[in-house]
Amino acid sequence: RRRELLCGAAVVLVCALLVTLKVTCSRAKDVTMAAKAPVNFFSSRSPVFDLFRGQLDYADHIRQDSEVVLYFFYAPWCGQSIAAREEIEQVSRRLADQVLFVAINCWWNQGKCRKQKHFFYFPVIYLYHRSFGPIEYKGPMSAVYIEKFVRRVMTPLHYISSRSKLLDFLSDYEPGVLGYFEFNASPQPPGYMTFFTSALYSLKKDYLGTIRFGVITDKQIAKEISLTRSGSVYLHRHVNTSLIYPSEVMNYTAENICKWALENRETLIRWLRPHGGKSLLLNNELKKGPAFFLFIPFNPLAESHPLLDEITKVALEYNNCNKSQAAEPVPQHLRDLNPPAIESIVAHAHTQLADAYSITKYPCCNTVLLPQWHSISRTHNVCELCVNQTLGVKPSKVNVPQCNFLEIEAALDSFYLKERTFFQFVSNTIECSNFLSFYSPFSYYSACCRKVNRGLINLISSEKTILQTPNVAFSSHGKEDKDDTQHSIPHIEERNCFTPDLHVNGTNITGLSCRTNKTLNLYLLDSNLFWMYAERLGASRSNHLKEFATIVDLKEETHYILDQNQTLTKSTIENFIQNFSILYSPLKRHLVGDSSVHFHAQHVITEVTTNTFHDVVFLNEKDVLLLYYAQWCGFCASLNHIFIQLARLLPPNNFTVARIDVTRNDLPWEFMTDRLPTILFFPYKRKDKSVKFPEDFSVTLPNLLKFILHYSRLPSAALDSEPCTKECPQRERKLQEEHISHLKSEIQKLRSEVSALHQAQDQLKAQLSEARREEHKLQQQKLTLEKQHSILQLHSEQLQALYEQKNRELEEMAEKLQELADASENLLTENALLKVLVASIKGKLENKDETKKSIQSDEILPNHNTGPVLTAIDGLHERERLDISNIDSTVTEHKENRTE
Amino acid sequence: MRHPASRKRAWPRGRGGSRKCRCGRDGRLPLPRPRHAPLLLPAGLPVGPAPAGRRGGGGGPRDRLRPLPGARARHVLPRVRELPAPRLPAGRAAAAHVRRAGHLGQILGNVSEFQRVVNVLQEGVDFNIDVNASVFETNIRVVGGLLSAHLLSKKAGVEVEAGWPCSGPLLRMAEEAARKLLPAFQTPTGMPYGTVNLLHGVNPGETPVTCTAGIGTFIVEFATLSHLTGDPVFENVARKALKALWKNRSDIGLVGNHIDVVTAKWVAQDAGIGAGVDSYFEYLVKGAVLLHDEELMSMFLDYNKAISNYTKFEDWYLWVQMYKGTVSMPVFQSLEAYWPGLQSLIGDINNAMRTFLNYYTVWKQFGGLPEFYNIPQGYTVEKREGYPLRPELIESAMYLYRATRDPTLLELGRDAVESIEKTSKVDCGFATIKDLRDHRLDNRMESFFLAETVKYLYLLFDPDNFIHNNGSSFDVVPMPYGECILGAGGYVFNTEAHPIDPAALHCCRKQKEEQWEVQDLMREFHFLKRKRKSTFTRTAAHSRGGSQAGSADTTTESSGKGRNPEKITKRRVPLLSCPTQPFTSRLAVLGQVFLDNT
Repeated sequence: RRRELLCGAAVVLVCALLVTLKVTCSRAKDVTMAAKAPVNFFSSRSPVFDLFRGQLDYADHIRQDSEVVLYFFYAPWCGQSIAAREEIEQVSRRLADQVLFVAINCWWNQGKCRKQKHFFYFPVIYLYHRSFGPIEYKGPMSAVYIEKFVRRVMTPLHYISSRSKLLDFLSDYEPGVLGYFEFNASPQPPGYMTFFTSALYSLKKDYLGTIRFGVITDKQIAKEISLTRSGSVYLHRHVNTSLIYPSEVMNYTAENICKWALENRETLIRWLRPHGGKSLLLNNELKKGPAFFLFIPFNPLAESHPLLDEITKVALEYNNCNKSQAAEPVPQHLRDLNPPAIESIVAHAHTQLADAYSITKYPCCNTVLLPQWHSISRTHNVCELCVNQTLGVKPSKVNVPQCNFLEIEAALDSFYLKERTFFQFVSNTIECSNFLSFYSPFSYYSACCRKVNRGLINLISSEKTILQTPNVAFSSHGKEDKDDTQHSIPHIEERNCFTPDLHVNGTNITGLSCRTNKTLNLYLLDSNLFWMYAERLGASRSNHLKEFATIVDLKEETHYILDQNQTLTKSTIENFIQNFSILYSPLKRHLVGDSSVHFHAQHVITEVTTNTFHDVVFLNEKDVLLLYYAQWCGFCASLNHIFIQLARLLPPNNFTVARIDVTRNDLPWEFMTDRLPTILFFPYKRKDKSVKFPEDFSVTLPNLLKFILHYSRLPSAALDSEPCTKECPQRERKLQEEHISHLKSEIQKLRSEVSALHQAQDQLKAQLSEARREEHKLQQQKLTLEKQHSILQLHSEQLQALYEQKNRELEEMAEKLQELADASENLLTENALLKVLVASIKGKLENKDETKKSIQSDEILPNHNTGPVLTAIDGLHERERLDISNIDSTVTEHKENRTE
Repeated sequence: MRHPASRKRAWPRGRGGSRKCRCGRDGRLPLPRPRHAPLLLPAGLPVGPAPAGRRGGGGGPRDRLRPLPGARARHVLPRVRELPAPRLPAGRAAAAHVRRAGHLGQILGNVSEFQRVVNVLQEGVDFNIDVNASVFETNIRVVGGLLSAHLLSKKAGVEVEAGWPCSGPLLRMAEEAARKLLPAFQTPTGMPYGTVNLLHGVNPGETPVTCTAGIGTFIVEFATLSHLTGDPVFENVARKALKALWKNRSDIGLVGNHIDVVTAKWVAQDAGIGAGVDSYFEYLVKGAVLLHDEELMSMFLDYNKAISNYTKFEDWYLWVQMYKGTVSMPVFQSLEAYWPGLQSLIGDINNAMRTFLNYYTVWKQFGGLPEFYNIPQGYTVEKREGYPLRPELIESAMYLYRATRDPTLLELGRDAVESIEKTSKVDCGFATIKDLRDHRLDNRMESFFLAETVKYLYLLFDPDNFIHNNGSSFDVVPMPYGECILGAGGYVFNTEAHPIDPAALHCCRKQKEEQWEVQDLMREFHFLKRKRKSTFTRTAAHSRGGSQAGSADTTTESSGKGRNPEKITKRRVPLLSCPTQPFTSRLAVLGQVFLDNT
């Protein structure tokens, strides 16, 4: 019973096991694992409130308590979110007391956020100002920029409390919108909220926040921008006339104000902030015409940006086309002058007077008339000589002596030392160049020279006299004394202001944008974020200042850069722009080269760069084969080995095999190609007659060799026609020596090959002998095996014989047995006969008994008779027994035999 | 890559025609990881300034590409499903995968693992087994892998035999495997069947429908085999198949998805660049690069024209009807992401970047690329929302980074590393993402994750890897007919990311042919002066010949030229060349793109 129970249990268990196995196996096919449960994204110590389960409803709930809230929507797997996390934390640490930072996991599919929002990218930053929002932040994911934006949302309106603040506000390069609201009437004047909202609205529209909103509450200050009615809105513009919001025509709504400001603002200079995603920003901007890119390190949180202010001034001047409206520097002067002056200037903002006060912003300049060789000539070379202070020494803000007398003198002296060079420039072009002053490392001067009509100069000077500016003619010291030709002494005019003059001869940048047909668009880029572009345009990596100026002309496919050794100042920028604008620009196309060239490890192929191109190709006293390639081009890379082989074959004394990576190295136009790979050959002594490897030939070693042979041979052919000079045998000897060395190297190679072959031969021999040994061994083995085989055969024969013998014996035995059987059969028959006999005898005896009974007398006789019969029978029996035992013994004998 | 696609499954059903394509990655098999031997990571990580930064998350992505600790190595994979009707010879395929892992070791610097695997392989691999194998998969994985391993074996420190690279045990194995595939090519059109029995050849009753990629993805491996072994049969069948496809393109120049290899009738007429077709285009370009073959390149350029005419919309590539050019599916497939990489090889970098940035937005949306992405709807397609950690996008990023050094590409690499690690890492490997919408994981890890995704990721972050060699270093191998220059860069990856050295092909065939000619020419260099007169007259004759465009003299000069003289005179732009980059290319970084010259 128990056994049965156990068996049953076992069967059930096995079944259960099988079922579970099957279940698990079949499940294993479709087993999926849910995504990991979300965990904290921000550390618990961070001031950021991390809703990693995406509780958007809760976020909206806690938003009510705070004036300004920042939502940071992230996905935990997203690299950008992870990168931005630190920046957000940094901002939150600074603003935690004023702004609520909420991070929401908007990826987890159980979360509320994922169910309600649908983002195409992460992270997304939303800002709320009370009920207004969301304002999406689209700027760079950098802490300073985010903080600046958050601060803007916190205070969308600047409060303009004083005149100086007004001036500050107006002088900024970014367009500004001002609203005037009287707060005395009611707690909140009508329209103020709309104005406030429009400020927030503008942030929503334009994440760069390039329109600033200010509010004026003081009547006096409002008057200065001619606002009198509370609720009026004013858009300040520098070049064009400023506007007042036409509330009669357009509804007074936040959207409209914002739209109006966006449409009417003037952008003299634009920030470019590519967002990193696919965009056509640069494409669109560059297609507008030549662009002036200024890379400056920019901290949006900084209070003041001196460099930016200077650049703004340049931009204003550049775009200041209409002289009569040249009110622009206004605020600037206001700052320098005393208050009474402000009144007047502001009042007559559009008067010429401004010019008279715009002194400080110009460096001190001199017009220099260069001595004329032909005094009869009606033309003069005129140079503008300007002294610029760059570092440290700032132009004095005092009005009267703008130029340090000594400085001018020093500059003049050094200028004369170089004046000879300027005589060459007798052309109609204006050439500007900057020189470092000998005397002061901090200042240098620039000179712009051109040929002008003598009459014109007179006109200018007369103009100047009218303009009450003292014309002081210097007689140049030292220089002049040596010069006997009194009349050709440079005529030097010292002026406070060269604006009017420049306006005539066109060397000033004021309003240049309208006078040239190469109008520049000015752009600013933050070099902390976009230095990559600067590097691509040739800024050196070592430049720690990260300031860089370049003019990119997409149509001409060229760009020019401002020498990086010069610091970016107003005057250098102005010079740069001027040089670009004039007809025959002295600017040279900048060629970007790869400075970090690592030379070929084995030095077989010379790597050429922009800088070494001339040296390697032209100054080299060899035939040069130059390959133009690019690393990414599949067809170039698969030719590498052919060129390496070629370089190893050609005698290095006569040939240079070089290559240039044209994606990283620009070359002058005449050396550029439009397809890669391209092979050019520059034969020695006729480098100007470079030849291109024909494109319809496949680039193979024999073809290249033929090409080189063909073109390098021409000079020798030319020489051939000349009578053989002494050099001839020398050259030939040289050549032969080279050949010999080549042959020697060939022989060397062959030798090494021979030795290699020898080695191989030895190896083979060894292998062969080993094989032979093995064969021998095998044969021996074979022999022994054969022997063994024959022995075995013998053995088997013997066994066979033995077997047969045994067989025979067996047969004999069988015969004997047969005989015995026969004999026993005979005996049995005999026995039967005997039995019959006995029976018959018994019968007879019975008969006799009966007769005996009948005849008593006959008794003695039969008794006699039976005696011998019985004995005979007994004897028979005995014999039988013997026989049987006999057979038994033989059988056992047989058995014994077999077992044996 | 161009895995002609998770194909039959990746394709929506009920669109008419047979979707049976065997080029699929169906036979997924476990593969061992490189062991814990430390990777020889190059010091320093010159990844350039990535502005948005790789700040958080300690350690660059490269650090995280280390293999799992050895103890786990064994358990890494076996979670893979049992093979559905294995098309690959199980044992062999496993061997191939083994070697693939070995490759990974070689590129990642784990040399000892490579050597170990090579030894394992040499001990008895037998292709004489009665198994049905996918011709496509066997070619790219087994043949390609063996060839690549053969060519890399010296670099990996394996003792090579005397005739290397033109002979060797791995090469013989590759040849043996390739011979098993040859019966599939015996069709009236020359286009191969999709499946072949390794022992008996093509099974009677085998379906004649093969996907386009399954026909056109042989030239790289087969031409390499022919060049190395000297037996032209492989290259010939591969070329014949390519030409057959070319002949059967539609009037507007497009090819469909599946074709009947006996009757040459198109069964699936969707034309695009993704699943089912992908590696056909890839191999046209790579074949042209590897063999310097103008014919292949001219085919590709014609296709390229048709593709951009009919399928390209705003830098996306859609699916169209191959005869009419009407849009049939406005989807982006994850497999299509190889295209920008291919474009960068032939110098179309501007377009490549524009397309790449489109694809990157999809990645940003999901943290991976769904198999199908509906472009107008901006969301995944029903039942196609998985991401099996495919390599294509990262592969393109690697090629493009070579060309542009754009930090955006490294950012993609960073995002990929973060995303894969955050979402798909499980105890014993990296699981396929079953559904990108919620990042549910499937119980499997695809073989191409290790073979390709990890390899390309590593190469993206290691610009100094020998694979990126631009010819600044090389190996000299003495051969009986002169020295061979090997390893000089320009490696061509087959579609399973096995690199092939074009110099080896040249070494084993061309160099032998050119040897004497070169020697004669070299002699002339030195007799320049002595025999000046005679040489001059000869060169004069030569130049005369050169001036008479296409004269007998010049045609005999170059074997490549004599083929088609009329064509050459017509042609202006040499086919086997890339355009130099326009001026705007220097500013086309950090997401900026430029429209073509207007």
